Amino acid sequence: MLGLSSLKPRLPQVEAARKAVRAAQVERYGPQHDRRCWCLCCAREVRRHLSHGNVTVLHGGLLEHLASPEHKKATNRFWWENKAEARMKDKFLISPQDYARFKKSMVRALDSYEEKEDEVIKEMAAQIRAVENSRQEMVQAALEPQAVPDPEEGSSMHTSWEESHRQASSSSQQPLALGLPPIPELDWMEAGQALTFINHQEIPGVGNIHSGATPPWMVQDEEQGSGDQPIGPSYEEFLKQSK
Amino acid sequence: MSFLLPKLTSKKEVDQAIKGTAEKVLVLRFGRDEDPVCLQLDDILSKTSSDLGKMATIYLVDVDQTPVYTQYFDISYIPSTVFFFNGQHMKVDYGSPDHTKFVGSFKTKQDFIDLIEVIYRGAMRGKLIVQSPIDPHNIPKYDLLYQDI
Repeated sequence: MLGLSSLKPRLPQVEAARKAVRAAQVERYGPQHDRRCWCLCCAREVRRHLSHGNVTVLHGGLLEHLASPEHKKATNRFWWENKAEARMKDKFLISPQDYARFKKSMVRALDSYEEKEDEVIKEMAAQIRAVENSRQEMVQAALEPQAVPDPEEGSSMHTSWEESHRQASSSSQQPLALGLPPIPELDWMEAGQALTFINHQEIPGVGNIHSGATPPWMVQDEEQGSGDQPIGPSYEEFLKQSK
Repeated sequence: MSFLLPKLTSKKEVDQAIKGTAEKVLVLRFGRDEDPVCLQLDDILSKTSSDLGKMATIYLVDVDQTPVYTQYFDISYIPSTVFFFNGQHMKVDYGSPDHTKFVGSFKTKQDFIDLIEVIYRGAMRGKLIVQSPIDPHNIPKYDLLYQDI
């Protein structure tokens, strides 16, 4: 009864696939979904899960194979040749009705998966909107003329500039890489550092580094009277050196 | 071993520091001594200043006493740290929107040391802008406020 010992490990795989007939599961595609399993009866490898695009239907491949007519023929032959127990044989076959049932549940699972993904994206959009709102509020608070000048009234960082970056170059980013919303990434910075805001007066007409103005250290002050004197050592110092 | 860092209290002193520091990275910390984040940063600066003695000179600048510089460098958050080499302002791409200064404090002493090394090496090769070696997660996040826009 050589056939039976090699059939035993196959059984749990088939059972798992059979459960999927009732409740198909859909997952995001991952490299583990490319694994194949060995069908003893047909003596060939079969793709275990069914993948399309970036989603995978678990056990889809195996079920498809088990329901196929050539597998049925091969199974019958296998059982006849190896004189295996007839009861076991049925366990390794999927009837066409079962397969049709699986297809229906698969469609349902795909729909609910899509719904879930949409929800996640909506949640993230809402989060970004909330963050943007708080950012606007902070800008308002900072621009309001302060009745009591209190420089210690720091403004804590709510948002990260990453968010504006992401909006600007959204095309180059991966679609579902927004797994972590921007807020938690601030970690130590958010808790530790509320940077104090300095409200320096913008003097119109005088630029700054961003506008390409002359740096202060290059600006000639009136105090520099040293330009009047000739450059170089005085006569006495020159004599001292030559001695 | 840490010791007190020298302070610059007027525009003239800052001018002299910029024009007078040669062949070493000049580090100017713009802030206020009592501010908590400045204290954090000053601690890191003073603890590393002796090790970096050959590569860098560090000064603390009070933003209230040098309004010209505060305005020129567009300093809105303190502490802000600006780097020079041989009188040239060194820009660093930290992954933040402003390359002209480092805003906030460093997470570790090693981050600051690495940054000084990169600036030093880049400046010796004649570069005016270098890429920061610090992990972007350790760079403080802040918001750029655009006034009157």
